[in-house]
Amino acid sequence: MITLRGLTKHYGRKRVVDELTFDVAPGRVTGFLGPNGAGKSTTMRMVLGLDRPTSGEALVDGRRYAELRHPLREVGAVLDARSVHPGRDARRHLLAMARSNGIPDARVDEVLGTVGLADVAGKRAGAFSLGMGQRLGIAGALLGDPGTLLFDEPVNGLDPDGVRWIRQLMRSLATEGRTVLVSSHLMSEMQLTADQLVVIGRGRLLADAPVTEFVADDRAVHVRLPDPGERQTLAHHLTGEGLAVEERGGGELVVTGGTVEGVGDLAHALGLRLHGLTADAVSLEQAYLRLTANEVEYAAPAAGRRAGR
Amino acid sequence: MTATIGPPRGGGLPGAVHSEWTKLWSVRSSWWTVLAAAVLMLGYTALAATAVPVMAEHGDPEAATVSAPGLAVNAVFFLAQFPVLALATLFIAGEYGTGAIRSTLQWVPVRGRVLTAKCAALLPALCGLGVVLTGAALALAVPLMGGAGVPLTAGEAVRTALAIGGYFVLLGAFALGVGTALRSVAGALTVSFVALLALPMLCSALGLTAVLDYLPGVAGVNLMLGEGTLNDLTGQPVPYARWVAALVLGCWSAAALGAGAAVLRSRDAG
Ligand SMILES: Nc1ncnc2c1ncn2[C@@H]1O[C@H](COP(=O)(O)OP(=O)(O)OP(=O)(O)O)[C@@H](O)[C@H]1O
Ligand SMILES: [Mg+2]
Repeated sequence: MITLRGLTKHYGRKRVVDELTFDVAPGRVTGFLGPNGAGKSTTMRMVLGLDRPTSGEALVDGRRYAELRHPLREVGAVLDARSVHPGRDARRHLLAMARSNGIPDARVDEVLGTVGLADVAGKRAGAFSLGMGQRLGIAGALLGDPGTLLFDEPVNGLDPDGVRWIRQLMRSLATEGRTVLVSSHLMSEMQLTADQLVVIGRGRLLADAPVTEFVADDRAVHVRLPDPGERQTLAHHLTGEGLAVEERGGGELVVTGGTVEGVGDLAHALGLRLHGLTADAVSLEQAYLRLTANEVEYAAPAAGRRAGR
Repeated sequence: MTATIGPPRGGGLPGAVHSEWTKLWSVRSSWWTVLAAAVLMLGYTALAATAVPVMAEHGDPEAATVSAPGLAVNAVFFLAQFPVLALATLFIAGEYGTGAIRSTLQWVPVRGRVLTAKCAALLPALCGLGVVLTGAALALAVPLMGGAGVPLTAGEAVRTALAIGGYFVLLGAFALGVGTALRSVAGALTVSFVALLALPMLCSALGLTAVLDYLPGVAGVNLMLGEGTLNDLTGQPVPYARWVAALVLGCWSAAALGAGAAVLRSRDAG
């Protein structure tokens, strides 16, 4: 359980994290979203005690990180910036880590195996590819078998297999009852992994809701019916419920304002034959973009404005 | 996840020291600096010792004043101390360059404990290095001097070895403090270099001879040479006992460590 209370961080006169208050609950994956520079990494560094909050506090299981007697046994983390000496081999990096927190040396080979680095354990970390470096970071996060895990953009540099692997890893960690906080600026990524979403922009909390609830209000549902008559029937009933329906080619209806469950149940009740029923995957991204539209700090300049200069 | 990590054994300060010890010897630069210190120390002492019988043969009166400990001290101050300085500086300031400091502080979030652990891991090793290198240098110098110069007593050999071991400890502590305060290898090396070498020259040039013996580099040489021995840096005999010299240099090291600890405590990890 991670608890943030009025967490604020200034760098000079710039307010980078602004009165953040939210909890990250155990047993589920919490996605931590925000545009570049929103303050995600800074928030995570404050949870780990690396950066000192200007005001407010960040607690893990009710205590500040620095108060934890064996922090690696309670919190594992993969940060975005490089934090391994390039001249040290993977295994001795982890050995030094284990010894600092009273973790047996044997655990090192175990986690090297878990992340698939057993064969290159003796190689210098500086010679690692981006993905191998990321795996080394994950090995470190798992080393102390902690109940709380923080991942700062963990899929950076991973190949599709690696991405799938880490998604499954995060899911299983949450299923085991651990607290998992994962940052990303890709909503599509979080859609596949997270149960709960916390969205920030310019350091301020914009949303904190379950993934499902997050998009329920404007999720577009695509439903395909082979029979034109049945299509009309469904469209009629949906419009009657106040939903917007648009007819597309290929016998498809696009329904906005409803849910997959609602449309499916209605079709079933009407005895209609469906050939497809999906939620619009993009709409989550759109919901996110709309939410953060005014909070993007480092946006590409608009074409018109650029041309004018 | 198969979790075979058992209940915590260790951690705390002993864990932090063990961790730092593991880190110290798992990068090549540490081994290179130790090797460089050995080569410079023994190479200089051997060359300088070989010259003593030649000087004596040519009737050079200086030859009679040369001692094996004096050669070893020169080897340390003008050559071998620099790899030692580099080792200690890299040990902490190097972590800011590579970003490894973020790992270090994540593993050991109590800031003061990190610096204590670094001292506890590095300084005894430096003491051992100083004693062993001095022993080897003296064992090499005495036969090469071939009976010329000041004869070496066993007691003087032991005192010199311990004094050089002590100098390495205080030098290492100074460098750790400066490195922690400045967070940059280049900056820390520059400051140490100025404090040890440039400051005595500057003070001599300005005629500030009264302060010379209280500068860190001069106090270090005084510590290694012992009371009454001529110090080439000041051109004067060492005015105080070894323990006073250790105290003077120790104050500099403590001040550097204090500054380092204050910066480490107050600033973000970086
Ligand atoms: N050490 C620092 N000193 C000064 N400013 C900083 C520092 N670290 C971060 N910032 C600033 O704080 C803001 C937030 O940065 P942060 O890295 O937390 O964002 P983020 O949400 O992780 O972004 P990204 O998605 O790009 O990783 C940025 O504007 C950044 O420039
Ligand atoms: Mg970031």
